[in-house]
Amino acid sequence: MNKILTIALREYKAMVATKTFLLSIVMMPILMLGGLFAIRLLNNVGEVKERKIVVADSSGQMYSVLEVAAAGRNTMIDEMFDENGNPMGGDSDIGGGGPSFNKAEKFLLEKQEGPLTDELLIELSNKVRNQELYGFIEIPEGIVSSPTENPVKFYSQDSGLSPARRWIQGVIAGAVKNERLANANIDPTIVAQASLPVQVQGLGLVSQASDGSVTDAKEKDELTAIFLPMGVMMLMFMIIFMASQPMLESVLEEKSQRIAEVLLGSANPFQLMSGKLLGSVAGSVTIFTIYASGIFFVAMKQGYTASFPVATLPWFVIFQVLGVLFYASLFLAVGASVTQLKEAQSMLLPVWMLLMAPMFIWIFIVQDPNGSVATWFSLIPPVTPTTMLLRMSTGQTIPIWQPILGFVLTSLATVFVVMLAGRIFRVGILWQGKTPKLSEIIRWGLRG
Amino acid sequence: MPTWRIVDLSKTKNLRKIWLVNPSLIRPLMTNAIELRRVRKTFGKNVAVNDVDLTVPQGSIYGFIGPNGSGKTTTLRMILRIFQPDSGEVVVLGRPQGDTADDRLGYLPEERGLYKRMKVRELLTYYAQLKGYKDCKPEIDMWLERLGATVWVNKKIDSLSKGMAQKIQFISAVVAKPELVILDEPFSGLDPVNMESLREAILSLREHGTTIIFSTHDMDMAEQMCDSVFMIFRGNKVLDGTMNEIRANYASDRVRVAFGQQREWPDISGVEQLQAKGRYFDAQLVDPSRSQELLQQLVQTGDLQHFEIVKPSLHDIFVSIAKPSENQPEENEELVA
Repeated sequence: MNKILTIALREYKAMVATKTFLLSIVMMPILMLGGLFAIRLLNNVGEVKERKIVVADSSGQMYSVLEVAAAGRNTMIDEMFDENGNPMGGDSDIGGGGPSFNKAEKFLLEKQEGPLTDELLIELSNKVRNQELYGFIEIPEGIVSSPTENPVKFYSQDSGLSPARRWIQGVIAGAVKNERLANANIDPTIVAQASLPVQVQGLGLVSQASDGSVTDAKEKDELTAIFLPMGVMMLMFMIIFMASQPMLESVLEEKSQRIAEVLLGSANPFQLMSGKLLGSVAGSVTIFTIYASGIFFVAMKQGYTASFPVATLPWFVIFQVLGVLFYASLFLAVGASVTQLKEAQSMLLPVWMLLMAPMFIWIFIVQDPNGSVATWFSLIPPVTPTTMLLRMSTGQTIPIWQPILGFVLTSLATVFVVMLAGRIFRVGILWQGKTPKLSEIIRWGLRG
Repeated sequence: MPTWRIVDLSKTKNLRKIWLVNPSLIRPLMTNAIELRRVRKTFGKNVAVNDVDLTVPQGSIYGFIGPNGSGKTTTLRMILRIFQPDSGEVVVLGRPQGDTADDRLGYLPEERGLYKRMKVRELLTYYAQLKGYKDCKPEIDMWLERLGATVWVNKKIDSLSKGMAQKIQFISAVVAKPELVILDEPFSGLDPVNMESLREAILSLREHGTTIIFSTHDMDMAEQMCDSVFMIFRGNKVLDGTMNEIRANYASDRVRVAFGQQREWPDISGVEQLQAKGRYFDAQLVDPSRSQELLQQLVQTGDLQHFEIVKPSLHDIFVSIAKPSENQPEENEELVA
């Protein structure tokens, strides 16, 4: 046991007391906070573009409506942005096709008598190509009576994604609706009142405190519903990765520098591997402690302490330890089987896929944490640590037998993988020369 | 009814208690550091070590020689318990089996085995602690001073020269005060001055009772330093004994002759394997006891300038075994028991 502890201590120091480790620990929050800061910064740098659009209105009713709407929109943009085009703060929501964050488009309309002949279409298209125009609209005659048979046509280089198209659609749809209501003698204000949307507020559950009082349900916002589970998943992934990856490098160094031979002259492969795994787990707990305290501190400062998933912390630690043992032993086995980092990378591809699998399906799990996809995925041992925590951190009640079963299954799988990896490690660590085939490595694992 | 008596086994590290034992069960006091009994190790179809017997007495310097790939490293790894033999028994420091190298055994591998990013003291402490030797600071300081490496104590391994790293590697093998040390090419990368200081260090270890296994390709060094030599070739033991025993048993003396004017060997019989080397003739006596008779015959030619009886060197013996030739003995045949 002393030897295992001695090896674990060295591995722990080699992992934690390095500049790379300190840098990654410090850089991660800086990058994350830096990202938020960058978004804020970009919000303050704006750009206002003027779009010149030709309107060929065969109906004779829509141009004036569009002109009024464009004038209103342009005035609003002028009020929101200073002369340099930078936003001056305040609410930037001016409806469909309105300016988002820092960008706005003013529409300058020009009337063209319709309908558009082929010659005119070509001429206008060429103007758009020459950037004299942004685009042009063709409004058919029967737009009010039968709009589905007579669609409005908007021509521009980027008509598919253009905010101008959405804006035009909104304005014309509103005008056509009002026109039809007027034709049917219905007051549009009554329709507007009748169409007021109903808000459904997302709330958590009500619980009873020890003194018998009932605590109010907390409002569930996007943070707790999406970003918190995602953050928990990313944290788990990062910790497993940061604690497992150094194992690969450590074994490769020991192999290439023939240190393995010296170590095996003092300890057996079991002690060597156990020491390394223990060091790796200790490293992961250190990373967890640093990040958990950091996140808690930030949450406290920002007033999100209530959202902090304290109850899931013990589960996080349990699954993190299992995850680190599982993946670190795979990294150790691969490291012991190859002689160069390059060879290890191709062999690690399936391990990476396993480790990253939850990232591809996390959104389905968050949307329905108790659905069958989420439940089954969280019970498949290699992805249990990440997916189970993802489910638990959504705040929905997960039947307690599921994390327990997940724990049991992952523990069994981990024991199996550690044993398999131990056998591969024992043979591989002294293996020199050409890299063995995958089938050969599996044979080492099964037969020892 | 056996007679019971009190026996002190304090000399064996792991039995530091007074035991009440049946005398019939007591093994004789350990006098051999290593005993290999018909040890065999195969890898697939390849027989790496073929029923080898070897006894290394305590306190001796035992040379392990053999060409690359002959089974030397496999034998060393079985002594280190890195490999387990397929059959036979490997007794190291009185212990017939184990899955880990004995803590009383130190090992210096042929190629460098140091963590590049660790500092010298940190590394030596780690290697000592792995051997269960906790209070190692005085020992580390003593060895660093002795080998002139004190200034490097806080330097990282990757900043050391090849020779300095070799010295640190040596210290790492002996820092835990082992009773048995395996040194695989300990002088590689050392200049003559450092080589001499390391040689003295090895000899002083022996004076303090440490048994030393010295594996090398440098036959002159092996001849100078070793009390006994063991040679393994294609998995078989081909030499084992003191230098005098090996010379006496394996190769007979040769004669070296030079004439003043004569460039042809005179018509004198009683020699074989005659070779002309410049102005010298080297030959093997058919009957080694008749060297005086040969000398008289050569004197009678009236032209004899040089007559010398040459003892075979370990190098000659090694080359004659390992070099394929018509005179080479059959494979798998043990030449010297």
